[in-house]
Amino acid sequence: MTKEEMVKKKLWRCNVCNDIHYGIRGPVICPTCGARNAFALIDYPEAMKVIIDRGDRLDEVDKLLDLWEKFTHDKPFKLNPDEDFVRQLAKGELANEANHGLKYCPCRITTGDFEDDLDLICPCNFFIQPVYKESGECWCGLFVKR
Amino acid sequence: MNVGVDSSLKGDSMAEDNRLIFFWGRECPHCAKLHPVVNEVSQELGGSITELEVWHSEENATLMRSYKDVLLEACGGSLGVPSLYNEKTKKALCGKNITKQEIVEWAQE
Ligand code: SF4
Repeated sequence: MTKEEMVKKKLWRCNVCNDIHYGIRGPVICPTCGARNAFALIDYPEAMKVIIDRGDRLDEVDKLLDLWEKFTHDKPFKLNPDEDFVRQLAKGELANEANHGLKYCPCRITTGDFEDDLDLICPCNFFIQPVYKESGECWCGLFVKR
Repeated sequence: MNVGVDSSLKGDSMAEDNRLIFFWGRECPHCAKLHPVVNEVSQELGGSITELEVWHSEENATLMRSYKDVLLEACGGSLGVPSLYNEKTKKALCGKNITKQEIVEWAQE
């Protein structure tokens, strides 16, 4: 997504189930309740209130492993079978979140431009990486082709 | 006038900085694996490789970013670690598959 497109992103709320969507337009069919054409614009402070913080956090190595495992379902890639390595990487991402606010890829550094650095949140869009095309692994080797 | 002189002097002093730099991240598993190999080469060459950690030092990260033209190419589009940058030759090695042989050749070029 280009920076011009990023700027066009807004917040949308489903008026049936209060689903919140961040994008250029609201979904035609609500992914949560299935309502059609139900999304209306909402502003940032109101949206933050609609999203109720129930205290769930992805702040443990096991939770990351579980999330990554689920992310690979029905995909052409799987989690690296070397569990020690995967756990080390998870620890690194949690440290990055604690120190820098987001689960940035530990095998790269931020550019200093916040919007550009959103591309470094794991899992990133590694399909576009030359290394994935050549070797079948994401830059870090967390995800590998099946 | 002075500003021009100052900036060109700064440029010269940068150009005269002939360090061999190992950029690494404390949280990066591949950096941890490559670290002893870099240490080995550094020892063999008389301690010539400067190690700079980039996730916990903004200064080191800024320096690494200043070499982005070369590093982005070596790393396939992002500022990857582990990476090695030779200030004299302006050549870089990047990524988890760097071998000892490659480091030796990169350092001695
Ligand atoms: S390269 Fe791999 S580990 Fe790094 S952010 Fe992308 S998916 Fe995560």
